[in-house]
Amino acid sequence: MSARPFSSILDSLTRQRWVTAALVVSERDGIVVESNLQIGQSGDRVAALAASLYRKARLSAKAAGLGAVSFMQLEAPGGRICAVGGGDLVLVVVAEPAVNVGLVRVELLRAVGELLSVGGEVA
Amino acid sequence: MSDDVRRLSDELARDPGSRVFVPLGEALRRQGQLDLALKVTLRGLERHPHFADGHDLLARIAVDRGDLEKAFDEWDMVLRLVPGHLGALKGMGFVCFQQGRHAQAEEYLSAAAAQGDGDEQVASALEHVRDARRAVAELPRDPSRLPPGTTHDPRFLFADVLSEAEQTALLLDHDGLVLAGAYVAWDGRDVGQEVGAELSGVTDAARRATRHLSLGEWTSIVFETEVAVVAMTPSTNDGLLVLATSRATPLGLVRRLLDRCAERARRWQGGRI
Repeated sequence: MSARPFSSILDSLTRQRWVTAALVVSERDGIVVESNLQIGQSGDRVAALAASLYRKARLSAKAAGLGAVSFMQLEAPGGRICAVGGGDLVLVVVAEPAVNVGLVRVELLRAVGELLSVGGEVA
Repeated sequence: MSDDVRRLSDELARDPGSRVFVPLGEALRRQGQLDLALKVTLRGLERHPHFADGHDLLARIAVDRGDLEKAFDEWDMVLRLVPGHLGALKGMGFVCFQQGRHAQAEEYLSAAAAQGDGDEQVASALEHVRDARRAVAELPRDPSRLPPGTTHDPRFLFADVLSEAEQTALLLDHDGLVLAGAYVAWDGRDVGQEVGAELSGVTDAARRATRHLSLGEWTSIVFETEVAVVAMTPSTNDGLLVLATSRATPLGLVRRLLDRCAERARRWQGGRI
């Protein structure tokens, strides 16, 4: 088993223009499984907060009978946080405001299958 | 192992090319042995890829496994193989209903009912779907449903902003308690309190995340689910505005609706309505 099983997913995301970080996080406890971060960034807290947000989205969707959550994005004047879930894992992207969200969304949704498959092997 | 399963298994072992895999898979499904039923059915379909009853069974197994998308795809395949297949029409009506796509559910079930065999199950399902559509359409957007003597009911705050029956909006306070609007689920129930309870704290979590990353105060959160798009934006006094629309609503329109609901909420909270 590779020491960086999600490297191809994370590399493809951080290659996108204006994407500053990509992380695979455990939804249950918010712990970083693997990350691609810029120098000086601390992934641990972002991971925990993004996983918590995603979990809240998932639980509220369940409460409303809306089914599984596929994609989530948080928008702020200084940037965006996007996430998709696969099994117990959440794939998180942090990006600057100018990012093409549509493209990031497509890349994230495309990565879910790989996340599930690699995540299953890691588990 | 029941006698039926044993007999059908023996028959399939004697003739692996027979179509007996369908009754065998169905017997296993009914016994709750879903993995085995799936295996038998997939193996059978390898030999008979255009056998509609095999795909119909695969769809029913998918429903039992909670995979509605897969079930829909399989029944879609059945309808392509055998147009008007009653089981597939009923199944697709069921899936659409479960996913909150009431209009499509009604179409499939009406087509099933039109086959004229007087299936009571179809008639009852169709009535249920029509009731649910009426409930979603009427609640909470019909001001005539206001209690007598009431001039303004907060449940209807967003009534004229929302344009379709499958759109719903809810204003929560900082504790996740409902201030105005409603959150109408696919079956017509107002699940505002449940959703509010789950979303309480989302404002703090979002604020912590954006501050940590120096992104400024968060302006919106959007998440897509199997059947809906849910959008949120902060409101006055650490409150939260939640908008849900059908999955078919374009994301750009969702954002515009969210802005309009937010403006309505601001005016209401500022005492201007």
